[in-house]
Amino acid sequence: MAQPEPSATAIFYRNLGWLRFVDRFGRKGSQIVDYLGGLFQMIGQALVGCVTRPFYPAEVLNQMDELGVKSVAITGITALFTGMVLALQTAYSLEAFGGKTFVGRVVALSLVRELGPVLTALMVGGRVGSGITAEIGSMTVTEQVDALRSMAISPIRRLVVPRVVAVVVMMPILTAIADGLGILGGLGIAVLELRMTFQDYFTSILQQLAISDICSGLAKTVFFGFEVAAIGCFNGLMVEGGAAAVGKATTRTVVYASISILVSDFFLTKLFLAI
Amino acid sequence: MSAIATSAERTPETAPRGETIVEFKDVWKRYSGRDILAGVNLQIRRGEVLCVLGPSGTGKSVTLRHINGLTRPDSGDVLVFGQSIVSLSEEQLTPVRRRSAMLFQGGALFDSMNVEDNIAFPIREHSPERTPEDVAATVAQKLTMVGLPGIQRKMPSELSGGMRKRVALARSIALEPEIIMYDEPTTGLDPVSSEKIAQLIADINVRMDTTSVVVTHDIVTARTVSTRVVFLHQGRFQFVGTFEEAVRSGHPVLQEYFRAMGFPCGTGVYPALPKGV
Repeated sequence: MAQPEPSATAIFYRNLGWLRFVDRFGRKGSQIVDYLGGLFQMIGQALVGCVTRPFYPAEVLNQMDELGVKSVAITGITALFTGMVLALQTAYSLEAFGGKTFVGRVVALSLVRELGPVLTALMVGGRVGSGITAEIGSMTVTEQVDALRSMAISPIRRLVVPRVVAVVVMMPILTAIADGLGILGGLGIAVLELRMTFQDYFTSILQQLAISDICSGLAKTVFFGFEVAAIGCFNGLMVEGGAAAVGKATTRTVVYASISILVSDFFLTKLFLAI
Repeated sequence: MSAIATSAERTPETAPRGETIVEFKDVWKRYSGRDILAGVNLQIRRGEVLCVLGPSGTGKSVTLRHINGLTRPDSGDVLVFGQSIVSLSEEQLTPVRRRSAMLFQGGALFDSMNVEDNIAFPIREHSPERTPEDVAATVAQKLTMVGLPGIQRKMPSELSGGMRKRVALARSIALEPEIIMYDEPTTGLDPVSSEKIAQLIADINVRMDTTSVVVTHDIVTARTVSTRVVFLHQGRFQFVGTFEEAVRSGHPVLQEYFRAMGFPCGTGVYPALPKGV
């Protein structure tokens, strides 16, 4: 006996799970497209703001101090101990092959090409990115951003551009300091723990490390800095609601900035290796 | 006795009847699937103090934010100084915004700046040629106007709610605007501070020859300062007229609103107007 045709309602309920999945997927996709569209629009306006009047040099210097100089300690300590750990791990791994003399170059190359830029960017992303979002987000919910607009002052030019410029300028400087401190950390372990001489350590570094290694590492940080500042500013400007919304936006900035740094690091590394 | 005339003393005949400075033409605005403004039409005349009354959440502040382009309508047109502003970019809105000012509900003072820098901020931005001494003198003058001389060095966090509003008002008038928009200027203030703010609004309107649009649900403020009131309900202006006309209009929603606010309405003091008036 032939089975009766299922009704349209029965088909609908049988596929309800899938329909919900497609609906959720579509909504999430739409949110992502909206977010990226808004972010790139703000980036475009900020780039225009970087090259057209009015400029706010005093505000840029103030932000370089707030966002850059005050981040030296956290990025420096991170790099110092990373260099020390790298020296210990390298010596432990290469000891069986008599490779202790390579400690200097491994530490330096790892730090200068990869760990220095990425760790510095991640630390700055956590400290500075979240700080930018919290500050601009608070200004947004207390109508200070609207107050700027009502005074015919562009929040992009007044708030976003100085922060982006400050972070982009300070990030390579912070990374260079971090690289140096990391190498010094490795030196401390090499001399005190591994009984190497100061000269052996630095000779090993100078034999391997090229200017191009340093340049590619520092060049990456310009992009990382731009990503951190742009995401931080955009999430701050997009806050709607009260203090809880500012908190969520701050968390979102740390997550998005970290992911953005790690993903772009891969593509930038590919690019710089190809150049 | 206050030198400022209440709207009871300013009869409709003596009210300024200047040119139209702001015009809403069939403005619609929708939020979260709800029509906040549903075909609003309104003309605001130069020199008047227009109070926008209505219950919370009816779109009074949204209406106000349309005047300087902080919010754009979904459809319809808003003309300010005779120019349509709905399709202007942020940059193109600059001339309109320089001729207008807005006092926000919480004051919106910049936390990181002291009182002097807050008030001087728009002056330094738009008149960089002015000397620091000149700017400082203007700041002192504006602070005196709002009754707070000598507090230039204080930070916003050190001020009371009423003082913050008055400093914000001083900042609003720093560039001598032609239109001042007040978003709930007396909300959260004690009656004495509310009275001071209301008197300042009326005073500034006369002394600086400005046009004022005051969004409020404070009936006393509306009575003190208004030349005309409009009552916003269900996305439309249900009433446009003087305060006395509003009180005596017999409009059921308006009467209910006045009664809920504790204002005598339809009583011997304010008898309802005869039908057709």
